[in-house]
Amino acid sequence: MKVVLKDLVKDFKSADTVAVNGINLEIDQGELAVLLGPSGCGKTTTLRMIAGLEQPDSGRIYIAGRDITDLAPKDRRVAMVFQNFSMYPTMNVYDNIAFPLHAIKMDKKEIDRTVREVARLVNIDQLLERSLRQVSGGEAQRVALARAMVRRPEVFLMDEPLSNLDAKLRVQLRTEIKRLHQDTGTTFIFVTHDQEEAMTLGDKIIVMNRGDIQQVGTPHEVFFSPRNAFVANFVGTPSMNMLPGSLRIEESGRMFAAFPGFELELPRRFAAGLRRMSSHHVIWGIRPEAIKLVSGPGDNCVPGVVELVEALGSRDLMFVRVQDQLFGVIVDALDSLAVGEACHLHFDGAHMHLFDADSELSLLLDEKAKGA
Amino acid sequence: MIVPARERIFAYAILIAMAVLVLIPVVAGSLTAFKPQIIWISSPPVWFFEPTLENFEFVLITRQNWLHLRNSLIISIGSVLIALVLGVPAAYGFARFRFRGSKGLMQWLISLRMIPPIVVGLPFYAMFLFLERATGLGLRDTHLGLILTYQTFLLPLVIWMMRGYFVELPAAMEESAMVEGYTRIGALWRVVLPVVWPGIVATALLNFIFAWNEFFLALILAGNNTSTLPMAAGTYIVRARVEWGNLFAVNLIIMMPVIVLTIILRRQLVKGLTFGILE
Repeated sequence: MKVVLKDLVKDFKSADTVAVNGINLEIDQGELAVLLGPSGCGKTTTLRMIAGLEQPDSGRIYIAGRDITDLAPKDRRVAMVFQNFSMYPTMNVYDNIAFPLHAIKMDKKEIDRTVREVARLVNIDQLLERSLRQVSGGEAQRVALARAMVRRPEVFLMDEPLSNLDAKLRVQLRTEIKRLHQDTGTTFIFVTHDQEEAMTLGDKIIVMNRGDIQQVGTPHEVFFSPRNAFVANFVGTPSMNMLPGSLRIEESGRMFAAFPGFELELPRRFAAGLRRMSSHHVIWGIRPEAIKLVSGPGDNCVPGVVELVEALGSRDLMFVRVQDQLFGVIVDALDSLAVGEACHLHFDGAHMHLFDADSELSLLLDEKAKGA
Repeated sequence: MIVPARERIFAYAILIAMAVLVLIPVVAGSLTAFKPQIIWISSPPVWFFEPTLENFEFVLITRQNWLHLRNSLIISIGSVLIALVLGVPAAYGFARFRFRGSKGLMQWLISLRMIPPIVVGLPFYAMFLFLERATGLGLRDTHLGLILTYQTFLLPLVIWMMRGYFVELPAAMEESAMVEGYTRIGALWRVVLPVVWPGIVATALLNFIFAWNEFFLALILAGNNTSTLPMAAGTYIVRARVEWGNLFAVNLIIMMPVIVLTIILRRQLVKGLTFGILE
C-alpha cells in the first residue's frame, strides 16, 4: 500500500528520540524504500512513527489513503522487524510465529496452516519445534521475518534487521529479503546506515541527515547525481574525494577550480549553475573509481606520489598525495603501484561533481529542484 | 562453567564452615523446641533425648497461637499480593517511560525503604486514630490496616527490583507485540511478564519475608484480633522467665514457611536474583 508522510515532525524536546524536522515523503505500493543515513539522522524515529511506536508532534501519516496518525500500532496493519532480535524467549519458534495470529483470534487449524506456510517461505520449517536457545542469530532473524509476514501486513517496516549479523549472513539474508519483497509484492520500508545495503536492496533510497531528507532517488540517482555534498560524501565506499576550492573563469569562458598548487578545468555542464553562484567558493568532488592513472602529463592531469595502498581484492585503493591533498584512487590490483612511486592522476570532467560551498547544493540542480 | 576439583573443594569447605557457624544456634534452638520442659535449660545441655511435640501442642492449641499463624499468613500474603499488583505495573512504567519527576520519584521511593519502622509506627497509629474519628473507618487492629502499612516498605522494594528486570529487557520485545496486534497491557501480560517471572518470584519471596518477620509495626498497630506470630513469640519472654521450649517452638513455626518456600523456589530465586548477570 502507498505510504505518505506529510510534514512529519518530532521535535528535540521529546527525550530519547532523534528529531525529525517536518519531512514529506511518498512511498508507492509495492516499493522497497530504504531510509539511509548516519546514526542520529532520524531514520529510525521516522520508521517508529509509521509503526505507531512514536507519536509525531505534528504532521500526518497515511497508508493506502487511510489516515493512521492517531491509530494504535496494533490497528495500523503494519509489521516490524527490529534490530535486536525481539523474540519471545519463553516461546518456541512455532509459538513465536503463531503469536500475532492469536491476537486476531484465528482458529487453531488455520493458525497451524499459516505458520507452516510462512515458515517454509523463509526456510525455517525444520526449526519450528526448537526453543529459541537452539537457533542461531541468522535463524532468529528469519523467525522475526516469518512473524512479521504471518499477518499479511500492508507495509513491512524493518529497522536495521541485518546489522547484528555477521557479514556473510548479512549478504545472504539481504538477498532473501529482496526475494521476499518480490514474492509478496508488499510495500517495504527498510532502515539502514549501511549504504551498500541500501544500494543493493532499494528501489528507492531516501537519504536522511539531521532530521531532514537530503535526497530521494533510485540507487543510481543518489550515487551518480547526489543533490548535495552530504549525499555525495555519504553514499559510496570508499567515499568521494571532496575538496574545497575557488572558481576561476577565463574571458574565453573556460572554467577552472583552483586548489593550492594546481587547478582543474571544469566541463561546460556546470556553466549554468556557476552563473547563479554568488561567491567563488565551491566544493569539488570525484569518486575514487573515476580517477585514472596516466603515464605522463596532459590536460587535467596532476603529478602525485603514492602514500598508502589498501588491498580490496581484485582492486586496490591507493592514496595519492597531490600537493596538500590526499586522493583515494581505485585501480585494478594488477595496475597498482608501490608506496613512494610517482604517478599522474587524470580527472575526467564527465565524472566531476561540483557543489556551492555555502549551500552545499549541487550546481547541476536546476532552479526549481533546489526547493525540493 | 567447569571449576577444577581443588577449587571446588576449597569453596565448599568455606561454605560449610560458614553454614555451621550460622546454623549452630538455629539447630540448638530448634532442638529445644522438641525437648520436654524439664530439660529446656539443663546444664550441660542434653543433646540426646526422646523428642516430644508437647511444646507445639501447648503454643498452637492451649495458647491458641494458630490464630496468630492465621493472622500472619493473611497479612503477609495479602501484603505481598497488593504490593505486586500495584508495584509491578508501576515498575514497568518507571522502566519504560520518562516523565517529569520520574527520577526524583524513584529516589523518594528508595528513601522510604531507608526509614526505620520505628519512625513511622506512631504517625501511622495517629493517622489511623484520626481516620477512625473523622470517618468511622477503623484500621486499627485490622488485617487491612497492617497490610496497607506494610506497603510503605514493600512497594519501594517491588518497584526497585522489578524496574531492574524490566530495564534489562529490550523494549523491542513488547513493541513488536504491539505492532503484531496487542495493546501495551496485552504485550506486558503475554510477553514481558512470562520472561520476568523469576524476578517476580524472587521479589515476592523477599517481600514475604519482610512482612512475615515484621514485629515493630505489628506491635503498635495490631491488636487482639490481628496480632501476628512474632508477637506471639514475644509472649513467651515474661519478666524474669523465658519459656525456652515454647519460644523455640513458635520460632520454628515462623522459620518453616520461609525455609520451605526458599527450597521450593530456589531455582527461580537464583535466576531472579542473578537476572541479566548470567547467560
